[in-house]
Parts: sequence; C-alpha cells; structure tokens
Amino acid sequence: QMWQVGKRQASRAFSLYANIDILRPYFDVEPVQVRARLLESMIPVKMINFPQKIAGELYGPLMLVFTLVAILLHGMKTSDTIIREGTLMGTAIGTCFGYWLGVSSFIYFLAYLCNAQITMVQMLSLLGYGLFGHCITLFVTYNIHFHSLFYVFWLGVGGLSTLRMVAVLVSRTVGHTQRLILCGTLAALHMLFLLYLHFAYHKVVEGILDTLEGPNMPPFQRVARDIPVVSNAVLNTTAKAVALTL
Amino acid sequence: MSNFEQFHFDFYQSNYTIDDQEDSYNSYGSNKNLCGTRKTQTIEELPASAFAPSEMLLSSQSYTGQILQPTYSPDTLSHLSYTDGFDEEPPLLEELGINFEHIWQKTLTVLNPMKPADGSIMNETDLTGPMVFCLALGATSLLAGKVHFGYLYGMSAIGCLAMHALLNLMSIPGVSHGCVASVLGYCLLPMVILSSSAVIFSLQGILGTLLALFIIGWCSFSASKIFTSALAMEGQQLLIAYPCALLYGLFALLTVF
Repeated sequence: QMWQVGKRQASRAFSLYANIDILRPYFDVEPVQVRARLLESMIPVKMINFPQKIAGELYGPLMLVFTLVAILLHGMKTSDTIIREGTLMGTAIGTCFGYWLGVSSFIYFLAYLCNAQITMVQMLSLLGYGLFGHCITLFVTYNIHFHSLFYVFWLGVGGLSTLRMVAVLVSRTVGHTQRLILCGTLAALHMLFLLYLHFAYHKVVEGILDTLEGPNMPPFQRVARDIPVVSNAVLNTTAKAVALTL
Repeated sequence: MSNFEQFHFDFYQSNYTIDDQEDSYNSYGSNKNLCGTRKTQTIEELPASAFAPSEMLLSSQSYTGQILQPTYSPDTLSHLSYTDGFDEEPPLLEELGINFEHIWQKTLTVLNPMKPADGSIMNETDLTGPMVFCLALGATSLLAGKVHFGYLYGMSAIGCLAMHALLNLMSIPGVSHGCVASVLGYCLLPMVILSSSAVIFSLQGILGTLLALFIIGWCSFSASKIFTSALAMEGQQLLIAYPCALLYGLFALLTVF
C-alpha cells in the first residue's frame, strides 16, 4: 500500500521535473533541413546589417557533438592513447559536451552583457553547427597525418565556420566594442578548441622534429606517447657510449 | 466428502484471485503489449523473471488454502497451473512468452534489409532474441580474446536509454523502453557476424575498416527501417539511422580494437 502511494508520488514528481516534452519542438526536423543547415554553417553571410535568422533546433547540434565524440574516440583508439585517470569514453564525452554547453553558456552570458539579441537555444544551435567544421577537420587529419594539411584545414574550414558564427553574432549586436568583445572571444575559443583537439588526442607520427610541436603539448600530461624509433635510437646511442667508456 | 467439497470451494476462491493475477501478468508479457502509448514503467523485465515472483505469490496463497487439507499433494500446483490440473497447463514457452516463429520473422527482417518491415511485428516486446544476440556478441568477442561483457551491457543500456529519449522526442506516438531495446537488440545481429570474423583475421587494416563500416550501415539501416515502420515516421528514416549508426559504431569500435 505504501509502495503504491510512494510510486504515485514519485511518478508525479518525475513527470513534473523530468518532462522532456518541453524539448520536443526543438527536434522536429526533416533531413533536408538538417542537410541545408549543415552546409549553411560553412558559408559566412554577407549581410550584417540585418539580424540573421538562426534556427533554434537541437537535433543537428546534438548529433554533431556525438559525432565529434565518436571521431575523438576513433582517433584515441588508433593512436593508443592512454588516459590515466578516467576512461576514454568519459574523457571524450566530457570534452565535447563540456565545450558545447560551457562555451555556449559563456557566450550567452557575454551576449547578455553586450546586449546582443540571441537566446540560449539559438546560441546552442549556432555553436553546435559550428562544430561541423571541427568534425570534418578532425576526421580528415586524424587519418592523414600531415601537419601542414592540418594547418590548412584549421585556417580554412575552422576559419569558415568561425566567420559564419561571428557574422551572425555581429548582425545581432550593436556597438563596435560589444561586437569586438563577443566575436573575438568566440573566434578565439573556437579556433583554439580545434587546435587543442588535434594535438591532445592523437599520436604525432611525423613531425617530432617540427619546431612548432614544442608548445603544443597540453599542460596536464594525459598521454604517454613514445616514438619507438626515437627512443630506440637514444637507447642504442647511450648503450654504445656506455660500452665505449667501459 | 464434505471436507473435500469445502476444499474445492476454498480452492476455487483462491484460484479466482490467482487467475486474475495470472491474467494481469500475461498481459504484461508478450502478446498484448503494444509498442505504442504505454508509458508505465513496470513492464520491461524478462518475462521469465516477471513470472518468478508471481509463482512465489501463487504458492504462498495456495498454501494458506491448504492448511485445512494436509493430504492434498502440492504437485499440481507447480508451475502456475491453475484451472484444473497438470494437463491443462499451457506449454512452457507460451507461458514465458517466447514465440519462436516471431523471433525468426524478426531475425529475417534484420538479415534482409531490402525486405519491407511489417510495423505490427514490433507490437510484442520480446527481449529473448536481443539477449541471445548480446550474449553471442560477447561470446564471439571472447573467442577473439577480448573480455568485454561489462562494456557491452553498459553500452547497450545507455544506448537504449538515449535512443528511447530521442525517439520519444521525435515521434508523435511515444515508444516504450522495451520496444527500443528489442529493436536495437535484434539489429545487433550483423555485429555478431563482424565479431566472429574478428576471430579469423584482425580487423585493424583497410579491409577490417571497410567491413566494419558496411556492417554499421547494415545495422543502422535495419534499425531505422523497423523504427520508421513501427512509428510512422516515413520521411525521417535518415535522421533515425544516424544516431543508430553512432551507437553501432561504438559497438564496432569495441569489436575492432
């Protein structure tokens, strides 16, 4: 009897607080629309005097974040990345969702300060679609390991998607200082995130002698990466040196 | 004689309530469960486990009726027999809700992605097939030297929850957890094929990657085909196929590496 009452109360509380039906209108999309929006996210708009329309939809961004997680996992697996505290899956999901939700909230807060006309859902949607460029870049460069190719993609593809987001935000903000703050922050975070994802999560096959490699190791050393050729060479020369001195 | 009649009377009384419970458990089982608007949470355990508590309840109830009649043998009360006797009991598989014909039909639907799916076959929430396929995947992984049972169960559970949430948001009639679990489990069958091929040759080359991609496509195509036919979401098959592909991609990652 008590079980029945308890169950009824719990289900009432559950339906009140965990009502996911409020998210229902954001998932009402057709495949054509999603494809169109994906392609649009790479094209910066020219008209910044008129507030650009942003589709407040969550299906596309959510799928893109999950795709980014999958690409990260694939990259980590192919490069035998070892994460000492935590799991591969947890790290990937934490990074991607943390970026999407965290940076969206931060930019939304800045937009509130700078008086920009954008809602939270629109910001989530905009940033989510901006991750499409990241997905493409990482997918290509995790499989083809050329540094110069990565930089081309970083500037080209990453730049395009950043420009689109920036243009949309500029069209919705008045005042030069505000525009500068908002768009500068977003551009910096977006481009740096791509850089971070590339260098932190996959094995660097060639280019250990590349001087640009140095500062790009993440401060918290999560991976134990070893290039067998180099370490063997070092071992051999050390052994030879020791043998010579003896 | 009068004792016996009294016994029958008592027996019939308790029988009535047992039948009632029996009916309600049957309706929670396979045949009448609709994949549609059922939102109650209690249903989707294995039918076998759902019947086990009812059996214990039955025996406790029947024993109270028997205190007056110590000579009555408890044999005929074994195994949920109710109305008259041992012979009238339905066969075990039917009680457990395992219908081999339907299982075979659903398996064929998965294995032949070009065959149009029948929307009504998903009306019964059948978790036997999915359980078998999940165990088969674990067993073939074991043959290849990877003990990943825990990861498999965890990923399937979380995947089912996520797909259930997404499908509820995207479709107009809702879905139940059992339906989602059932469909996703059945479409895991091609993954078992991938895993068994991992026993023979390593999947970490170009051939392995291509095979894995093909199998992922096959699984997600079948799953989305069954979901769209069961939920009447015709234009959105691609939108459902993509999350399924991500989920099966995770399974493939587990199998390949």
